[in-house]
Amino acid sequence: VTMAAQASLQEGIYWAPKTRPGAHFAVVFLRVSRHVDLPVVTKALGQLWATYQNLKKGSVRDLPGHPVPHGNLTVLLGYGSNLFALTSVRRACPKPLQTFAHFRSPLPTGGGPLQPGSGLRYAKDVRANWATEDLVVQFIADTPLAVNRAIVETWKALYDQAKGREDQLPLLITRFYTGFQRDDARSWIDFHDGLSNMPSHQRADAIIVKDTGDPGDRWTVGGTYLTYLRVSVDLAVWRTVSVEQQQQLVGRDKLTGCPLVSLDGRSRGVPLAGCPMGGTREISDSTVPGNPAFFEPPNVSNPILQRSHVQRANHHIRSPGDRNSLRIFRQGYEFLETTNEAPGFRVGLNFVSFQDTPERLFRMLTQEGWLGRMNFGGDPDHQLPGMDRFLEVRAGAIFLVPPVVPREAFPGAHLFEKKATRPVRPRSGRSRPDG
Amino acid sequence: MAYDAPGNADKLDKTVLAEWNKLIAREYRSQQARFGSRFFSIDPTKLRSPVGAAIQWFADPAEPAFCISSEQARVLSDWGVRGRQVLHNEYCEYAVIFGMDPNGKFRPKRVEITTELREYWLCVATHAPAKLRQMVQKTLGFKPSWEDLYGGDPATLSRAQREAAFSRLVAGTPEAAPTGRLNTEHALFMTHAINGLDDLVYIVIFGARPYARKKGNGIEPISKEELFRKFGVEHLACRHADPAAAMGAAGAAFEGRAVAFANPLGVYIVSFAEGAFSIKGKPIPKKWIRWGRGQAGMYQRLVFGPSDADKEFLDDIVVSVGAKDLPVTGGFQVLQQIEVGPRVLAGATSPVRKDELVVIAANRSAIKCGEADICNQIKELKREHTIQLKTRRTRPRVVGPIG
Repeated sequence: VTMAAQASLQEGIYWAPKTRPGAHFAVVFLRVSRHVDLPVVTKALGQLWATYQNLKKGSVRDLPGHPVPHGNLTVLLGYGSNLFALTSVRRACPKPLQTFAHFRSPLPTGGGPLQPGSGLRYAKDVRANWATEDLVVQFIADTPLAVNRAIVETWKALYDQAKGREDQLPLLITRFYTGFQRDDARSWIDFHDGLSNMPSHQRADAIIVKDTGDPGDRWTVGGTYLTYLRVSVDLAVWRTVSVEQQQQLVGRDKLTGCPLVSLDGRSRGVPLAGCPMGGTREISDSTVPGNPAFFEPPNVSNPILQRSHVQRANHHIRSPGDRNSLRIFRQGYEFLETTNEAPGFRVGLNFVSFQDTPERLFRMLTQEGWLGRMNFGGDPDHQLPGMDRFLEVRAGAIFLVPPVVPREAFPGAHLFEKKATRPVRPRSGRSRPDG
Repeated sequence: MAYDAPGNADKLDKTVLAEWNKLIAREYRSQQARFGSRFFSIDPTKLRSPVGAAIQWFADPAEPAFCISSEQARVLSDWGVRGRQVLHNEYCEYAVIFGMDPNGKFRPKRVEITTELREYWLCVATHAPAKLRQMVQKTLGFKPSWEDLYGGDPATLSRAQREAAFSRLVAGTPEAAPTGRLNTEHALFMTHAINGLDDLVYIVIFGARPYARKKGNGIEPISKEELFRKFGVEHLACRHADPAAAMGAAGAAFEGRAVAFANPLGVYIVSFAEGAFSIKGKPIPKKWIRWGRGQAGMYQRLVFGPSDADKEFLDDIVVSVGAKDLPVTGGFQVLQQIEVGPRVLAGATSPVRKDELVVIAANRSAIKCGEADICNQIKELKREHTIQLKTRRTRPRVVGPIG
């Protein structure tokens, strides 16, 4: 992947070395009103984008001259396959998005499989998937206020443009979700999570759309595809599973985070030798160097551990740029929300991944030996009680995240231009300093 | 150490097994002389603390997809024996078996998929005709004639004559596809020149060196583009099999691990997403997935679809691709759900000496797969296919009563 292609990725994807995402996340799904003309939609998107650029500087539309903390807000805009069905949109839906446009819908009665061949299902109370929309906007910032404010300012900008007439809103907010990062490098099941994400130097190869030679899709080169899944975790089920079994399902030691490489004579997990580094209690401890070497679990020969979650999600196939590697770059955020049913709350993960084609994730979710037929980890034919519904999906969708093109009013603006024009590509990598 | 029959699918007598091992040793010696290093061992028992190295790839032909399109890849790959002979070169080949439905229409009934190495079958054919006949019968379900296997009684032929006859009729040669029906109407084993033992050994030995590029004061692993460009075989980087095999071995070598083919050496079906297929909203019957030619975990054959006794046809099955359910019209869609690969072991890590490193200049420019030479051949195949379709569309003149 060339430097020029890397430069054209939108912000909000923390793929580069030594970059860390903000601790707070929000995602807003927008539907284009079918009752307004495309120029009105284009104008609305342009105004929204301008609103976001101002928010990034701490400038709120109703507080001129009175800046607020911006929280290092980043904003990313993506397009779903439905958008390309609008007659006035000037580009055909890119091929990967045509093929892998969206997940299956939940059953009208609730629940149902996310995708045939996958072990993930919608929660029984989910009857509609509110993420399958025309547009997605992702906000990441250092503070909850910065991302929450961006959601509200989205509505304000749209409301003002419709002059307060709800039926004239050019874009409709169908749903938003929020989340946060944990500073303990763990997830709700108390195990370390996200450690075996791709090393930063490999990420660009796996996430940036490459030129496949298809002239119709060339405008997407330098962009990426975002997959979103709102996944709830059944902690009651998890608490029925012994720690030993939990460790075998995850593939790590619960306390230290060290990868398990074998099982001893009593089926207890044996962690990687020398892990964690002396003087530390767990591998997320960065007070001494060396622990990152233990982040990525090595290949194992024990069949039980081969079926663990960390081994299923990454077969350590080299060359992440290859589709065969099924590598994706994850950028997830936890959530905690209130419910009306016992226990009165729900925990889970906003799963966000970036990849050069959504095909990677679909295959990972359906292929035997990967996560095919699996809900989390273990043997799909002999799952522990409840583990086949341990994770449940509440929403999910796929979006194209178009590349940044100089002089475009917002990413993908040329899609809405009256006359199809070739977007101005970034200058050739040869004219840029290489490094 | 001697390698057993691929997949432990056959019980061979010692003589034939020795011949099979001679073949492996010959390929090893020829490649070791060019690319050999301590990072590849012909003997897996020599590895310290071996674990499986993930060398696997999706089996659908990559070249027509990157040369033309994924849809054309399906159409051309499913174009009978012609498509197979040109395009099935990711160490997996198939033949579609057709049947006639009650309306008199020929429709695909099932797909025979194989990853078996041609050299193995040729070895048995040369040295053990009776065993060969038994293997074919067990695999295809009928006893083949000597005529179909050798063009006549193998007892009257020398070993060289058997090898030549079996190559001509069943196995093909690097220059010519087989002419007989056993391995053209069926997929008995692989015949594409690229799907050979020689290429398999080559690509793993080629990869098994600690390739590196400079990064600051240190080094880091190279990309597949850099590796294949350096050796003037850029187009290989666009395929499934070669980058997976070479980069898997290279990654192990970079960590100071030696790799070896596990016993038995072969190409195996690593995984199959059977859950992606359904019929009338239900999972397909288990009896429509028939594994063969190996033990569990080392299958080299899959027959997918209804048997002749079933009233259903292959295109009654749908495969879920994203949000769509598409009828299965041939073998390409099935191969898209299959991963294949050899079983390769990687030993314990060891320090890599500076003089062992193969340092390659960093070059991040992309490879334009669509401009590979192979694309000209594939576009020519598409033209042939188009012409054949047009010819088919010419309706025969109908003579009937006037008025």
